[in-house]
Amino acid sequence: MATERGTIESFGHVSRTAGTVFRYLLLAATLFGIVALTVLLIYVANDAIRPLTADPGWHLTFLLTLVLPTLAVGAYLFRTDPASFRFGGAIVGTLAVSTMFAGGVAMLFVDIVEPVTWFAYVLALCLALGGVVVIERLDRRLPFLVRFVAAGVIVLVSLLVVPGAVTSLPVYPSDGVLLTLSVGAPIALVVGRYVAAADGRRRRVAAVVATLVVVGLGAFVGPLVGVTPVPATVVLAVAVVPTGGYAIGRIRRNPERRAGLGLAAVILGGTVVGAVAVDALGFAGPQSWVDWGFLTSAHSGTAANAGLYPAIGGSILLMVTVAALSFPLGVGAAVYLEEYAPDNRLTRFIDVNISNLAGVPSVVYGLLGLGVFVTYLGQSTGTVLIGGATLALLILPIVIISAREALRSVPDSMRQASYGMGATRWQTIKNVVLPRAFPGILTGTILALGRAIGETAPLIMIGAPNVLFSLPTALSSKVSAMPLQVYAWASLFASEPFYQAAVPAGVVVLLIVLLSMNSIAIVLRNKYQSDQ
Amino acid sequence: MSTDDLTQDLTRRTENAPQELLTRSFFFLCAVLSIVTTLSIIVLLTTEAAKFFSVTAPLMGVEGPTASVVDFLTGTEWVINNEQFGVLPLVSATLAITIGSAVVSLPLGVATAIYLSEYATPRARSLLKPALEVLAGVPTVVYGFFAVVYITPALKTIIPNLGTFNMLSASIVVGIMIIPMVASISEDAMSAVPDSLRQAGYGMGATKFDVSVGIVVPASLSGIFSSFILALSRAIGETMAVTVAAGSQANLLNPLNPASYLEGALPMTAAMVNLLTGDITGGGIAYRSLFAIGLTLFVITLVMNIISDLVAQRYREEY
Repeated sequence: MATERGTIESFGHVSRTAGTVFRYLLLAATLFGIVALTVLLIYVANDAIRPLTADPGWHLTFLLTLVLPTLAVGAYLFRTDPASFRFGGAIVGTLAVSTMFAGGVAMLFVDIVEPVTWFAYVLALCLALGGVVVIERLDRRLPFLVRFVAAGVIVLVSLLVVPGAVTSLPVYPSDGVLLTLSVGAPIALVVGRYVAAADGRRRRVAAVVATLVVVGLGAFVGPLVGVTPVPATVVLAVAVVPTGGYAIGRIRRNPERRAGLGLAAVILGGTVVGAVAVDALGFAGPQSWVDWGFLTSAHSGTAANAGLYPAIGGSILLMVTVAALSFPLGVGAAVYLEEYAPDNRLTRFIDVNISNLAGVPSVVYGLLGLGVFVTYLGQSTGTVLIGGATLALLILPIVIISAREALRSVPDSMRQASYGMGATRWQTIKNVVLPRAFPGILTGTILALGRAIGETAPLIMIGAPNVLFSLPTALSSKVSAMPLQVYAWASLFASEPFYQAAVPAGVVVLLIVLLSMNSIAIVLRNKYQSDQ
Repeated sequence: MSTDDLTQDLTRRTENAPQELLTRSFFFLCAVLSIVTTLSIIVLLTTEAAKFFSVTAPLMGVEGPTASVVDFLTGTEWVINNEQFGVLPLVSATLAITIGSAVVSLPLGVATAIYLSEYATPRARSLLKPALEVLAGVPTVVYGFFAVVYITPALKTIIPNLGTFNMLSASIVVGIMIIPMVASISEDAMSAVPDSLRQAGYGMGATKFDVSVGIVVPASLSGIFSSFILALSRAIGETMAVTVAAGSQANLLNPLNPASYLEGALPMTAAMVNLLTGDITGGGIAYRSLFAIGLTLFVITLVMNIISDLVAQRYREEY
């Protein structure tokens, strides 16, 4: 050894090869799953949309009107002004995703809930809330219980009497007007809040009125371009107004990002121009399986005619039910565990129990739904309500765990400051902790909802029908769901035509919905993390 | 107002004010709901399974056909129509899926975790982590479809005698599905290893490779193991992918023999789904066998989750 001789000739030599090989092996392993999934997604998209069946002229037209201009403007912006580039992308993304959800909401109003019923419930809720606010303002000296009971009575009376009274009126305004008031007004209020926060209260009124006018115009402009008033109003309220509001608000705050609008304009304009040009020149588009017929028709024995409509409606209803059940319960449990729970055995037990529940297989939850709701509580099988309740139980642990994380990220100093001002625990939670943790809670809930939307096994367990020809219209009607329909096609109707047409199309629709939900959650989380 | 009143007013104990009590009890009830859920799962599965076995059925006051516990646990035939309820074929298929998916997911998951925690730049991480989340977010029924329609035909070009429904492609998709789980839990454990240990390694002249393999991985071994167990318990409970891809023919196979992956089999979860997609009559023996399998499944996954928890806690290196 060198040291024994007392001299060290050199530090020796360390080979880099092993390290480099290892590094690239790791990278390959990391990319393996992602690449495999990407390849599969490309295959399934190709099978569902069949882009190669289009005329070469169709591709050429869109290449000229959409792809090349987008690439040119995009590349220029990306090099000179990345912030504007992202802004333009965000506008297009918001518009695409919100239009998709607007489609879902429009479906609700066209086939599931009468606009007047919805309007009646919104009105009842407003009256109830108004009553509660009046009681709260009336006299703070009234004992809490008196106020609580009075508020409860008002809410109950309003919810029980008003909807019936409104729907039994002999004449009421047209659907467009009703939806403008019941869907547009809440959105207008939200827009107003943002405007008030950014520009002061004076602009608020203008913003609210502008929003209402834009939404209200839908009922009149829609029919001119061949859209009935209900979907037109909904699309304006749910997609156009939020996107426009986002774009305008951003530009007012960062005028230097105006260039991003150019990108959005090029993409949207290119799409419209391309569509018009293709139509005029008579080029046939791809014979995609995912077309209007697929989205709006029910199951059929022949693969080419089969559609996803009842399943989409079922998934929407399930999502609403699951969200309504799991959000309050999950957040409530998280608040208890983070803010109230003493460090005792019961708390630790609940803690361990929740993490174990998160690992229980989904079929077992399905059995729970079947056994408890169907066999013991005597509900009929496969309804929206028990499907939603079962899925809500399934995602509850996930919601609780992510909500706890969000609550934990609220700094303790904020709680102490609130207590220092004399706030009680509930006031602190309501005014300080929950608002601060809300984006995190929302992210976790959206991800969990995505999980619920993709679940099939629990629905099969509770006896949801494999084939459903009409939309569920009430909580007690039978429900189908997108993944369930895909499963039915892939197993019960397993045959080449279904494997090549209906299933890929169903998979593509399901994945688009899920991926956009995931991306909303991820965008929210990134924004939230960078804000902190 | 006298000063006494004022003091009293200002120092009112708010802890038990009605508003506080009300909200606190609501939150408490929400938290207790999780215990209620667990209890009802356990009670439901055990009572219904008790009605299934001939030993316990009289206690539950059930008449009609039952199955003996011994036949259930050691029987090698699962034929519902003949009322042959041997769970071994189902367990062997589940075991095969678990082993097969472990072969795919464990090495890839750990490698991903090492890459993300030790090598990746922050920018690469911010791209790779959401992409991995997408991997876990794709519905399992879609994975099943991928296995049947794309992966099996592709594998058939290499292995000609592969069945249409086979364990191989089912294991591969389940493996891909649980990579993110192994990766994210292992990565959490690796990022919890303090930097001082790494710095000490570099100070001794170790290369990045030596530090990753010789210091970070051993230091986070308990986390890695608990991620393995959790991921495998997920693979055991995985339902739709195997239902679509593994076929519906129950047969007893040897999970350690690679040749048995070429044919289809019926894992426990798929057996449950198949029972229900057929016509299910509430209260029949087939209905109760569902709960017997469910109980088996629940116990296996629960035990694995608890073991994973214990491993993570007991063998965690405290720094």
